[in-house]
Amino acid sequence: MIPLAIPDMPVMSSMVPLLASATDPMSHIVDKKMHQWNILGQPVMLSMVTMVTAAIVLLILLRFAAKSIATGPESMGNRRFVSRSALGGVIEVMVLYLRDEMLEPVMGVRLTRKYLPFLLSMFFFILSLNIIGLIPFVEVQEFIHSLRGEPFSIAENGTMAIFGGAATASISVTGGMAFISFVLIQVQGFRELGVKGWLEHLCGGHELVSGSPLLYPIVLLVFLVEFFGLFVKPAALAIRLFANMVAGHTLLIVFTSFGALAANAGLGWFGVGAITAVSAVGAMLITLLEVFVALLQAFVFMFLTAVFISLMAHEEHEHDEAHGEDAAHAHGAPAH
Amino acid sequence: MLLASANPLEFNLFPFITTIVVFATVAIALGVFVWPKILKGLDDRNTKILGEIAAAEASRASAAAKQKEFEQKLQEAMEQSSRMIREAKTEAIRMGEELRTRSEADLAERARRAQEEIESARRTAVAELEEHAATLAVAIASRILKREISAADQKRMVEESLAGMQGQGR
Repeated sequence: MIPLAIPDMPVMSSMVPLLASATDPMSHIVDKKMHQWNILGQPVMLSMVTMVTAAIVLLILLRFAAKSIATGPESMGNRRFVSRSALGGVIEVMVLYLRDEMLEPVMGVRLTRKYLPFLLSMFFFILSLNIIGLIPFVEVQEFIHSLRGEPFSIAENGTMAIFGGAATASISVTGGMAFISFVLIQVQGFRELGVKGWLEHLCGGHELVSGSPLLYPIVLLVFLVEFFGLFVKPAALAIRLFANMVAGHTLLIVFTSFGALAANAGLGWFGVGAITAVSAVGAMLITLLEVFVALLQAFVFMFLTAVFISLMAHEEHEHDEAHGEDAAHAHGAPAH
Repeated sequence: MLLASANPLEFNLFPFITTIVVFATVAIALGVFVWPKILKGLDDRNTKILGEIAAAEASRASAAAKQKEFEQKLQEAMEQSSRMIREAKTEAIRMGEELRTRSEADLAERARRAQEEIESARRTAVAELEEHAATLAVAIASRILKREISAADQKRMVEESLAGMQGQGR
């Protein structure tokens, strides 16, 4: 870590959080301990409070949207079928797109109807965490603390902030989400295929297992690959989401801290102002990109979970069903 | 190790378990209170739209059938009206012809009657004239002869005069 040279100016002293982030961007991104709150003797992590807050906000917003999307009373006439709020309209468009254009072509109608609530919950939960992570709640709180002359952080990796931060930039959080996906994928596999079918699926399918003994080495190889694949797939989900969020936030904090670095280097007001202006424009552009990444990564996590679930469906049955559905709904063929 | 360090890859079991618990709670709550309402609303709307489309298609088919039926009836009506006009014309021509024939016959009858009346009048006039002429001739003859003529003489003289006149007429 680069040692900080804080100028002897009142305003500059309030830039300590930014300077700290500039010299070590990871200190801004990693999950922080909240020493003021403990559960079972363990300090609560900032991501945990953020998750709970995001969950509550999500429930309130989606409950409101559900009321506006739900069919209204008969007295409203045909208007009862139309969303009665802007939020409802946005949620409705997203749900329809995900269900009709993304999930049904991959999973078929039956599996989509079965897992749609879970997959939508996953998408919106991750999206809310990603979006909250883009809003600098922690930085604002630390700034206020530093203005008051209070410590904005406690010991190593601690914070006085009580809310905020990018929860999905924590491998523990994305790992938790991936674990849920893993459990659901395997439960779906056992329910659809049975234990024998599940094992045959891992060994490359019934044809390969019941084939010539000469194929057994291949069966063993396929089993090893598929078995590791069981864990690699959710691990890849966790790492992909985590890495994207960390990379985006690192880029963002680096851009926003250029001005503070310039001030720390003693460039003077003009130089600091010019660099701050350029970095602010860059940070705004990166923020727009991050909004897109937040949506995209939430979608990718949910969509790949749907793909892995559909891979565990009974293949012949699903194919037949999918063909029937294609004829009825003019959707694309299943990905598997 | 339960607590995270500055290393972002450091795994912490506490947030991991919290994530599972919080997400499971959120998924259950959304699954009970939110998604059924939203999905039912969307399905209701979809059903309504499909129903409206089906009804519109049925109405269109019904309208097309009625239009076809109407056009067929219109065609029949036009043919019937043409036939009626044709028949009316034929009837009018026939009636005109009949009327004309009847008028001509009537006219001929009237002419015939007029001729007969004229003939009758002429005969009457001729008879009167003959009678008057005879009377006049007798009166003249009486004056000439200066004597009285008996009724038998008068009758004989009239007949002789008439015979003489008829002989002159020839």
